Amino acid sequence: MAKRYLILEDGSAYPGEGFGAGATTSGEVIFNLNLLGYQETITDQIYHNQIIVFAQPAIGNVGINHDSYESILPTAKGMVVRDLTNISTNRLSKLSLDEFLRQHNIPGISGIDTRHLIRKLRTAGPIKGSIVDVADAHAFDQLNATVLTNRQVDQVATPKPYPNPDTGKNVVVIDFGLKHGILRQLSERRCNVTVLPWTASAQDVLNLDPDGVLLSTGPGSPLDLGAGVLDMIREVQAEIPLFAIGLGHELFALANGAELTALPVEYHGSSHPIRRIITNDVIYATQGQGYAVTAKSIDRDRLITTYVDLINGTVQGLRHRDFPAFSVQFFADGAPGPHESRDLFDEFMEAMTSREG
Amino acid sequence: MPKVVVDAMAMQRALTRITYEIIERNKGVDDLVILGIKTRGVYLAQRIASRLQQLENVTVPVGALDVTPYRDDIDHDSQAAEPEVSAADIDFSVAGKKVILVDDVLYTGRTIRAAMSAIMALGRPKSINLAVLVDRGHRELPIRADFVGKNIPSSQREKIKVSVTEIDDRDAVEIIKASANQAN
Repeated sequence: MAKRYLILEDGSAYPGEGFGAGATTSGEVIFNLNLLGYQETITDQIYHNQIIVFAQPAIGNVGINHDSYESILPTAKGMVVRDLTNISTNRLSKLSLDEFLRQHNIPGISGIDTRHLIRKLRTAGPIKGSIVDVADAHAFDQLNATVLTNRQVDQVATPKPYPNPDTGKNVVVIDFGLKHGILRQLSERRCNVTVLPWTASAQDVLNLDPDGVLLSTGPGSPLDLGAGVLDMIREVQAEIPLFAIGLGHELFALANGAELTALPVEYHGSSHPIRRIITNDVIYATQGQGYAVTAKSIDRDRLITTYVDLINGTVQGLRHRDFPAFSVQFFADGAPGPHESRDLFDEFMEAMTSREG
Repeated sequence: MPKVVVDAMAMQRALTRITYEIIERNKGVDDLVILGIKTRGVYLAQRIASRLQQLENVTVPVGALDVTPYRDDIDHDSQAAEPEVSAADIDFSVAGKKVILVDDVLYTGRTIRAAMSAIMALGRPKSINLAVLVDRGHRELPIRADFVGKNIPSSQREKIKVSVTEIDDRDAVEIIKASANQAN
């Protein structure tokens, strides 16, 4: 394997071994603390245009299997790992990680001191990086001149509606770059799903006469999506049960008067205890966020805080006071990660059923 | 064979949803009081109150209504007397309050009617809402729950058994099918 480099905006270069595609890419460098689920992570569209550093030191040891895709075409910009394990004994594995990355033109780099790198990233704030063949002045010039798009949702969300038919409740999913885990959980509950582009109006949604609406996860900043989507949310939440996850949660908060704060460093992991306020117990879930709802900005007459992260104190869940509309920051589909918050989908089902009564 | 139709997680979820629905319907928790019908309704009422306490940091008064044993294992059409409900244990006023009446199973509606009479005898509440964990159908009076944990359409020959951890070994709702030799 070829010698390659991870270079950062701050001028540092980390030599390592290339794997996957030989492409030169640039993106925001973030780190993921999950012990499991690199396939779900690399295929999750929230990592659009990002280079992911894995804290888990051995990556590749379960190959790539058909059950763990979170999107069909991954758009992450690279994988940074300490050890690449290219032998898999997982019986479901159909591809090695190396082959998979080659097919999708995503470069990887191994042999990196990821502990040192993550320490730096924890304090560096948002930082750009590239995976390159030669770490010369030209490469740094190229990197510094790179402007990353803020149109991530447009890049990864569906431009056209599509159905995912079944025989149960009619659910409209608004796609901001959804992960398949959401559709999987709805399928398990027999929902007849229509996925709409994020630009859909409230009228587009209500024309389908859904029993419930789900706002999906997605990449980037919710502040870049404009006011139209917030109007849609306000109109829809007053009519039908609504469940929002990740980016959808942030938009739900904005639509109801709350504000967002950019976290000093993005958090991607599943090790934070999250307090479920109503029952005063703790759950764990996979989290991935660059923004958090500002607790002080929450209008108590409109929203109730339902979940809170016990490590960094961030708001992890909200519920509307007047409507059956609720949201969580963390990924309730549990792909990858703990499954214990999957019953939020049951809560959504029951909110839809209860309304018929 | 008993069949579990609501497990512990589903029961917790149902109570959580009912709590949120109570907040939605009443636009908050001002003037709310919760009255549980003994025995299991009281525990459910306490669980709803503790959820409201967690969310809103407000202590909602909880009272217990005592109902004379009302047996649904005997043929109620021919011989059961009307249930009687006593509100002797309630040490706060219900006058002008929004009462949430809580019971485990809603069946004929006769217990609820008696409970409403008992509450009315205490004072004139602003409103009475009914929350039940299970609605099994077969109403004999024009009564309907405002908050339902789960609708379980059942045969009159089946029994619905609600267990709560406070006094039973677990949280569960089970359907017990009448065996053949009990059939009338």
